[in-house]
Amino acid sequence: MAALLPRLRRFGAGLTGNLADADDLCQTTLERALANRHRWQEGTRLDSWMYRIMRNVWIDEARARSRRGQTFVAEEAGLAVGADGGQEARVELADVDRALARLPGEQREAVILVMVEGYAYKEAAEIVGCPVGTLNSRLVRGRDALLALLGEAP
Amino acid sequence: MTVTREELAAYADGELDPERRVEVEATVKADPALAAEIERHRRLKDRLASHFAPILEQSVPDRLAAVVAESSGARVIDLAQARQRRTPSAALRRWGPWLAGPALAASLALALLWQAPGGAPSDRATGALAAALDTQLAGDAPIGAPRILLSFRDRAGAYCRAYRRGDEAGLACRDGGSWRIRRRLGAGADAPSEYRQAGSGEAAIFAAAQNMAAGPALTPAEEAAARARDWTR
Repeated sequence: MAALLPRLRRFGAGLTGNLADADDLCQTTLERALANRHRWQEGTRLDSWMYRIMRNVWIDEARARSRRGQTFVAEEAGLAVGADGGQEARVELADVDRALARLPGEQREAVILVMVEGYAYKEAAEIVGCPVGTLNSRLVRGRDALLALLGEAP
Repeated sequence: MTVTREELAAYADGELDPERRVEVEATVKADPALAAEIERHRRLKDRLASHFAPILEQSVPDRLAAVVAESSGARVIDLAQARQRRTPSAALRRWGPWLAGPALAASLALALLWQAPGGAPSDRATGALAAALDTQLAGDAPIGAPRILLSFRDRAGAYCRAYRRGDEAGLACRDGGSWRIRRRLGAGADAPSEYRQAGSGEAAIFAAAQNMAAGPALTPAEEAAARARDWTR
């Protein structure tokens, strides 16, 4: 589990858009994973299992924030969770972070899992809990939006 | 033939089944617009990967390492180790600058090294991997190509090279004019689905390399000389 920490931080940074929130997300993820460690099946991938926990925690927190009516704006409005944690972030928000933050969560996680974390579609779909075809189309929509936001559209 | 955007992305990510892959490949070859689309996909992938890559090199905050350390039965690391994780052991230091990565000590403890069943791996490197093993110097990989991590000679004198290809890390040794894969850790389609960790694969491969090697890793000059002799002993 310790060996996975750097990768979990990277995944967290991709989801939340900054390292401070990523570390909070990591901490909650680790605590939840340790509390549920009897549920991890020997012989299955520990990394996928931890990633699945992390994205679930992330979604739970996004929902909670949304209920509290804080800075969270509905995804349809084009702004997503974590888009405004920049001030405390140790790493300044770059173009890439800003562009990712504008994606709906389900597209963002698909893009991050495949294009940053290097998961195969099938593995990424298992982490997210959706069919492979759905993952594929979210990836394409997210990618196209990113290309447009980053000025790399044709 | 029409190719959907989903298929095009899947093609760029190496996710199409072999049959469809051949068809899409032919269509892409005949259509510069599709080829450009795939190029954009790959450029974005490179940009995203390099944007987040530095996080892997940073040391993990103590509070996170502590959560793992404090859990009973998971005493893989303690805080002192967590702070020193950038300092590999003396034995590993001999392998010098190839050893990087903040979680090295911990990942050595956790990573499982996979060896082909029967103890006699018979895989031969082919394609892009064979080309990289033949021609690439350590640390000199073009983007997207398999990356050679280091080279050494085993106790029988054969040249061996550690590599990373996507999610997979491995060791291949020169044997009768081609490269025999001696160790492999990670995402090979034929690998058993046992617990594996892409992020720690390199550390495990370095440990295996140390065990197999007759001496220290080759210097760049020694490596270039060996390549010039086509890796013959």
